[in-house]
Amino acid sequence: MNLNTFSLALAGLVLAPLLGGVVAGVDRVVTARLQSRLGPPLLQPFYDVGKLWSKVIAPASHWQGLFVRWALAASLASDVLLAAGGDVLMCFFVQAASASFVALGAFCGSSPYSKLGAQRELFQLLAYEPVFMVAILCLAKAAGGFDALSIMAAQGPLLFKLPLLVPGLVFVVLVKLRKSPFDIAASHHMHQEVVRGVYTDYAGRDFALLEIAHWADVTVVLWICSFLWATGPVQMLVTGLVFLFAAVVIDNISARLTWRTMLGRVAPITLILATANLVWLYLE
Amino acid sequence: MFGSFLKTSQVKSPWLMHFDCGSCNGCDIETLACLTPVYDVERFGVINVGNPRHADVLVVTGTVNQRNAVILKNIYDQMPTPKLVIAIGACGCSGGVFREAPNVLGGIDKVIPVDVYVPGCPAKPEAIMDAVVVGLGKLKGILEASK
Repeated sequence: MNLNTFSLALAGLVLAPLLGGVVAGVDRVVTARLQSRLGPPLLQPFYDVGKLWSKVIAPASHWQGLFVRWALAASLASDVLLAAGGDVLMCFFVQAASASFVALGAFCGSSPYSKLGAQRELFQLLAYEPVFMVAILCLAKAAGGFDALSIMAAQGPLLFKLPLLVPGLVFVVLVKLRKSPFDIAASHHMHQEVVRGVYTDYAGRDFALLEIAHWADVTVVLWICSFLWATGPVQMLVTGLVFLFAAVVIDNISARLTWRTMLGRVAPITLILATANLVWLYLE
Repeated sequence: MFGSFLKTSQVKSPWLMHFDCGSCNGCDIETLACLTPVYDVERFGVINVGNPRHADVLVVTGTVNQRNAVILKNIYDQMPTPKLVIAIGACGCSGGVFREAPNVLGGIDKVIPVDVYVPGCPAKPEAIMDAVVVGLGKLKGILEASK
């Protein structure tokens, strides 16, 4: 590892979660404007995490603290891998481990809502992970390598070679950002049947760390989506913002679906589209 | 610097939990009206949460009676510290017109400590928002004193 790779990895470790926090702020402001409200300040997610960090509360289970820290470590590791130009497939697997740790921590809790949320988190994993993996295979095939640097160095926008990937990636973004209609595990907007789902039993400092892990995840997912138009940093940023804006709009205009619809209809359709694109790339 | 950011965060991010402790729904409707685009309390970082483990401010409407006193205490105990309690409406403050009823204990303060009282039948959304601001001022004073 040379010094340049090390500094890129360090930048990924520090800046990626911060960028995820800003994305959460933009999301809340845009959502409020779509609902004719003024909305919170842009830095509100950072205040929320600061507040949660300073709260004093006994954990629902001692195992939870351990799983939260593992989830955070895995999410940050996926950021570091991507920032250092590492293997995107490895980054994907590490991030899947992070989501599994969140579910395991929720299973340790005593609340039935927490356990139900954890089960739904596993259903979500089952639904979006195959689509996301095929999407990464397509990106790698089209760019000629699995490492992030070669995908970003691809000639021209990959979008024109991978048009059938877009519905799949929008599905993945909706699930990972915990947005309707696929906000099934965490019930982001309160007062729904699972209270706060997988997050119900996490509180105080553990919940703050979990939020930071979520920000890191969001950055990774939007970053991978931005590979569709990776002709320059500005183009990548704009592509990421387009996916974010699409997710916010869909969140505001749609009701929540059940896990059966997610797993039985949306996941197979997006998987078939992404696989068709992969086959097309091989036949070309 | 990190310490002052944490203290600022606690004042700028009050997550409310609303508990209907036997209200006629008048105060409940006024409380929920605060979240609509007209009043938009999210401007101040307020979020309405359904989980006491995530809540900072407990907003209680209605009287306390023999049956729900245990539930109110249970919710209060599950909240992380520091926490605020706001009693909304005449019933929440003192028991209101129901205070002499045989099953009614009285206002919220018969069971848990109350930080801010909001009078009215029902209380106006402006008064409820003002109560949150007053409560946060109180919290800020406590945090400053703990330096």
